[in-house]
Amino acid sequence: MINGMRGWKQLVLVFLALFAAPAVITNAMAQASRDMITVDLPNDAATLDPHLQWDTDSYTVYRNIFDNLVTRDPSGRIVPQVAESWKQVDDTTITFKIRGGVKFHDGTPLTAEDVVFSIRRITDPVLRSPQLSQFDQIASAEATDPTTVTLKTKAPYPALMAQLVKLSIVPKAVLERVGAQAFNLQPVGSGPYKLRSWQRGISVTLDAVPDYWRGKPPFDAATFRVVPDVATRIADLQTGKADIVRQLGPDEAVRIKSDTKLQVLSAPTERIGYMFINALNGPTQDIRVRRAIAHAIDRKTLIEALLQGYGKEVDVVLTPANFGYIEGIGGNAYDPAKAKALLKEANAVNAPLSFLTSPAYDRRLVEALQQMLQEVGFKVDIQTMDQPTFLRRRQGRPEEAGSISLGRWSCACQDADGVIFPLFRSGSIWAKYANAEFDKEVDAARSTLDEAKRLVHYRRSFEILRDEVPGLGLYQDYVIYGARREIRWQPTANEAFFLFDMKWQP
Amino acid sequence: MPRYLFNRLLQAAFTIFGVMTIVFFVMRLSGDPVLLLVPEGATREHIEALRRELGFDQPIWRQYMTFLTGLLNFELGVSVVQRVPAWDILASRIPYTLALAGAALTVAIGLGVPAGIIMAVWRGRWFERPIAALVVIGQSMPTFLTGILMIMLFAVTLRWLPSSGVDGPTSVIMPAIALGMLSMSTFARMARIAVVDELGKDYVRAALARGLPLGKVVTRHVLRNAAIPVVTIAALEVGNLLAGAIIVETVFAWPGIGQLAIQGIQSRDFLVVQAIVLFVSLVYVVINLAADLLYASIDPRIRLGGS
Repeated sequence: MINGMRGWKQLVLVFLALFAAPAVITNAMAQASRDMITVDLPNDAATLDPHLQWDTDSYTVYRNIFDNLVTRDPSGRIVPQVAESWKQVDDTTITFKIRGGVKFHDGTPLTAEDVVFSIRRITDPVLRSPQLSQFDQIASAEATDPTTVTLKTKAPYPALMAQLVKLSIVPKAVLERVGAQAFNLQPVGSGPYKLRSWQRGISVTLDAVPDYWRGKPPFDAATFRVVPDVATRIADLQTGKADIVRQLGPDEAVRIKSDTKLQVLSAPTERIGYMFINALNGPTQDIRVRRAIAHAIDRKTLIEALLQGYGKEVDVVLTPANFGYIEGIGGNAYDPAKAKALLKEANAVNAPLSFLTSPAYDRRLVEALQQMLQEVGFKVDIQTMDQPTFLRRRQGRPEEAGSISLGRWSCACQDADGVIFPLFRSGSIWAKYANAEFDKEVDAARSTLDEAKRLVHYRRSFEILRDEVPGLGLYQDYVIYGARREIRWQPTANEAFFLFDMKWQP
Repeated sequence: MPRYLFNRLLQAAFTIFGVMTIVFFVMRLSGDPVLLLVPEGATREHIEALRRELGFDQPIWRQYMTFLTGLLNFELGVSVVQRVPAWDILASRIPYTLALAGAALTVAIGLGVPAGIIMAVWRGRWFERPIAALVVIGQSMPTFLTGILMIMLFAVTLRWLPSSGVDGPTSVIMPAIALGMLSMSTFARMARIAVVDELGKDYVRAALARGLPLGKVVTRHVLRNAAIPVVTIAALEVGNLLAGAIIVETVFAWPGIGQLAIQGIQSRDFLVVQAIVLFVSLVYVVINLAADLLYASIDPRIRLGGS
């Protein structure tokens, strides 16, 4: 045994000797330069052509290469970017004045023609842009003079400006010269950063554009690395390999907080965590059963225990960051006694609920909800499937969609129209609910530009949803980043990641 | 011999065809990428239109025929998610996986085989025990756990090695050890068994009786005879390494085909996944064939394909 101990020690020594050599080199590399920023993303950008993909990892990178027609300020107000100003001519016509002095990275000026080209390109079905649905209300775009773009919509469309926040402007001349495939690999934009290199699956490196029209960008260069495992992303932060990392869960945020060199950057977003309740099939067709579900759920506990406070209670299926949010709709508070009574009244004690879920949803949240529902007398059967199957069933016929499921919804437009319309308007693929009065209200709210009138329609819409519970708001989702303490940045409700808004603490 | 080779290659072609067919149908039965591509709130019409544009509205047998025709023309198609030829995506990742698998195999054989020989030749001595303990640890620790623990120790606490990515030769050390651990243990056990087996044979006793030193007997005769099972294991272990690479590459952010496979499956990037499966099955077939051919050269008594 003593001999054995000595053997261990020898082995450890050999091990240490093997690893000591490279140590010096890596420590020197770990010294982060202040002119650089390194970002860890869970996935590589799928495309850098801003019109081809709309997933978070892709746009986290490419929105730094391109400018948008309009953008949002930190408070969420829509403000000028490439468009210097705009004017609503009539209910379906709006004109944009295009800013002079904006240049693409190849030196050519950005003109009204490029804006028109960008709109026509993304709305052309042949491009197969997944974003088509965000812009399909646009009927036409014309450059009426070299600095003016006239946009017409098919009908009065109140969410137009909110959608245009996501319109990246691409250079017509470059695209026509090199074609879409080459452009995707060598994108040319007018944004604060230009592409230096893209090593697929490894990293994207961007260089600052020193004479960018909004001012000198805060970092000379930025690298986005692909690090799929969240534990590794945190290790990268701790070792200085990364300065800021995306997509952390609440538990990881707590870990980051305990490290004095690091900080958590988070913000409430327009993403709503909600529960879908099937009103067209199974036991949940009974309105009393749906209400019982609503009263069985203790949002406060969910947020405190599972989300570690990174979530805010909401009682409607919309967040306060969206237009159309009505304060104090109320109803459906946690009340297990009432839930039990409702179940008994509906003759549905021990009613079986199938709870569809996928790995995209926090398993602990799913199980906590299961337990809360079982405590008032439901029998909850969790069915886990992969995300595409989940989506197919959730969007399929009411018989396939299960009784309940979770959702984390963001329309990236901060407008009720992008949330409750697709979720509950009958005929929509997500809706397992049909109510003519609700349909009338949400239809009316999307066909007038008068904000006061829209709010009236939305108040009524949310009252109907409160009473009929085809879905249940649970919490406003927070976006969570981990970062070195010296970084100054405030994340925003639309989950945008603009390097231009960040800086190292002086 | 040529007949044997021909038969083996024919077999291989059938195997690969079978694997590709299974993957083709299993992937498609579980839904297409369109639902993952569109943003929330896309209408039924948009989803259908995109599906049509991408060709996923075609009956599955027609998609399968298109796929087979492409395969015959050595065309793997263009990824619908990344809009780049699937082969280009795969090709950019292959060197990383080869480098990692090579390093892991070096770790596994370089540590495993000597450990096995030591344990066999000097069995019962005090240093057999710690080596055996290491072998058991290597065998029983799940790869993702070894990976994370190594990152915590060598990157976060000691700051000796980079925590992730590919920045020079030091980056491969931890992934190679994490990936090679299990194989290392297998090699150690197999080498030990094979050597112990040989040591008990008459020719060894005869050689020792004639006064040859043990070292010489082992290096000249025993190892050569013990090599056959080790070569077999090496061929099988390459397969295990490719499978293990999926986890190790994800943990260490190593941009190889394992990581690509996970991403491809998650985003339903059919063409990329198909390309990976094709490549991996080719590797398997070639390695196993190479192992069989290697037997013959190690042991002339082995005749391939019968007399």
